[in-house]
Amino acid sequence: MSAITLKDIRKSYDDGPQVLHGVSMDIGDGEFIVIVGPSGCGKSTLLRLLAGLDPCKEGELLIDGRRANDLPPQDRDIAMIFQNYALYPHMTVLENIAFGLELRKVPKIERIARARDVAETLQLTPYLDRKPGALSGGQRQRVAMGRAMARNSSTFLMDEPLSNLDNSLRVAMRTEIKDLHRQLGATIVYVTHDQTEALSLADRVAVMKDGHLQQFDTPDVIYDQPANRFVAGFLGAPAMNFVSAEQLGGWDAPLDVEIGFRPEALTLHHARPAQPAIEARVALTEMTGSAFILHCDSPGGRMCAVVPRGEALPVEGDQIWLALEPSQALCFDPVTGVRLDMPQTSPDQCRAVLARGAA
Amino acid sequence: MKPENPLLALLALTAGVLFLSPVLYSIWMSFQTADAYYTGKLDFTLSNYEMAIGQYNFARYLLNSVIVSGLVTIVGLAVATMAAFAFARYRFPGGNLMFGAVVATLMIPSHITLIPNYLTLANAGLLDTYAGLILPAISNGFAAFFLRQYIRGIPRALDEAAYMDGATPLQVLWRVIVPIAKPAILSMGLYIFITEWNNYIWPLVAVGREDLYTLQIGLARLYRIDPGEGVINWPLVMAASTITILPVLLGFIFVERHLVRGIMMGAVK
Repeated sequence: MSAITLKDIRKSYDDGPQVLHGVSMDIGDGEFIVIVGPSGCGKSTLLRLLAGLDPCKEGELLIDGRRANDLPPQDRDIAMIFQNYALYPHMTVLENIAFGLELRKVPKIERIARARDVAETLQLTPYLDRKPGALSGGQRQRVAMGRAMARNSSTFLMDEPLSNLDNSLRVAMRTEIKDLHRQLGATIVYVTHDQTEALSLADRVAVMKDGHLQQFDTPDVIYDQPANRFVAGFLGAPAMNFVSAEQLGGWDAPLDVEIGFRPEALTLHHARPAQPAIEARVALTEMTGSAFILHCDSPGGRMCAVVPRGEALPVEGDQIWLALEPSQALCFDPVTGVRLDMPQTSPDQCRAVLARGAA
Repeated sequence: MKPENPLLALLALTAGVLFLSPVLYSIWMSFQTADAYYTGKLDFTLSNYEMAIGQYNFARYLLNSVIVSGLVTIVGLAVATMAAFAFARYRFPGGNLMFGAVVATLMIPSHITLIPNYLTLANAGLLDTYAGLILPAISNGFAAFFLRQYIRGIPRALDEAAYMDGATPLQVLWRVIVPIAKPAILSMGLYIFITEWNNYIWPLVAVGREDLYTLQIGLARLYRIDPGEGVINWPLVMAASTITILPVLLGFIFVERHLVRGIMMGAVK
């Protein structure tokens, strides 16, 4: 069991730019944390600092309240799963799983029993004598998990563990990882660039961009009350629509804000509805299975709307109206991108803006 | 295995015959008496081997060669592997400069270092000893360079996985890097062994005592021995040559089985 505290962690690589600009985080014991962000945002660097694979010279890293900046990886009681699995190619599955125990001088009988248990849990028993080269991608992924699990570490670091799997396997493994977390009760820090993984797995999500922590909160809060325009746009598929009030027309100076709303907050109308709506022209329709995504051109630019199946679908080029429930609109500062919780962006005013824009 | 291309098989066969025939011829010759050889008769005798081993002390030379080449190979590989690991994986002050120096040694012909090495060992009192034969050969710049390149090709994630598993740097080297680099290390070992086995000039310079002669020195000495009528006893020389090549041949056959490819398969996606 371990809690991890990061205090103002900074990192720059030799003669390179700074990759982390003062990241602070409190990770609770047994929490499942997902760090998400675009490529190059510093999320993997942060994980490597936690693991001890890269030296942490600026800021403070506490594991269970003790300073761990200078602890070598083997003294941190942390297991890590690598993006490319990093299985030992010359060892069998059993040896791969038991290697960590062997290094910790666990007696042979005990470590083999333990490795077999882990393999059983991960349904790897039929492959124990195979080498990684003879396994499929999914099986290799399981071996990588097994290697981390065998040691009973209190903390697991996972660096995009599912990114090399095909989609169906990825969804299945996602559930398994979640299950595993429940069983093990270990602290998990999971890095991904996949926002679906982030929202579905995490107790709390840390969104990063350019080495800065943007927001660190539960998936609900991250999704409904994003701290800024970046977080709002990064999480959610299809992405949130943004319209500047100016583009919609008639927004007065103090109310110069950017309005964001999720595609599923829009409802489709074939004729001008009573409620505030944006007039748009259908440019493209995409079928996702359970719903359609409409890509429309509006005065505020390209926007997306999600239309459940069964509704009458417009064809490309059709004139439509997208009605917005004002309570679901978010306002952002157009310069800083910070979400505004100002009284002047009350639902009524949003409604007024949208109505004017649509007119 | 069926040959995929008969033309290629024919080519391989021709090359094989071309390369093997002198070897086979010399082995055949080693079983002839000098008499039979010079008169063109056919004969079979082991007397040349008896003479080489008994009269000319080739058993001792063989032992010396095995000791010297074996130790040069084992110690040289150990040194080169550790140096290669350090050069491939660590950044340390002067590291690049040191590696440059190692590479630079590849460009210096061994004859240039012959006299400095001789003087150094003479000062250390190591001439006419096994150490004198072995020490100059164990730092092998080429082996360090070659293995470094190979180790750099091994994903660093494997090292890191081992560190996360609780390994020390030495354990990473020994348990992860060395097994993966085994084909390269064995090839290098074979190369070092053969080079040292065939080394003539250094043992000639460093050793004066007959009981420290290596096979090559002993072999060269046979040319100076007059069989009686002022001609070289070729069957005897061929018997001694056979004694010289046999261990290398056996070593190659043994090592070759381990030179398997594709060991990296499945390590990383």
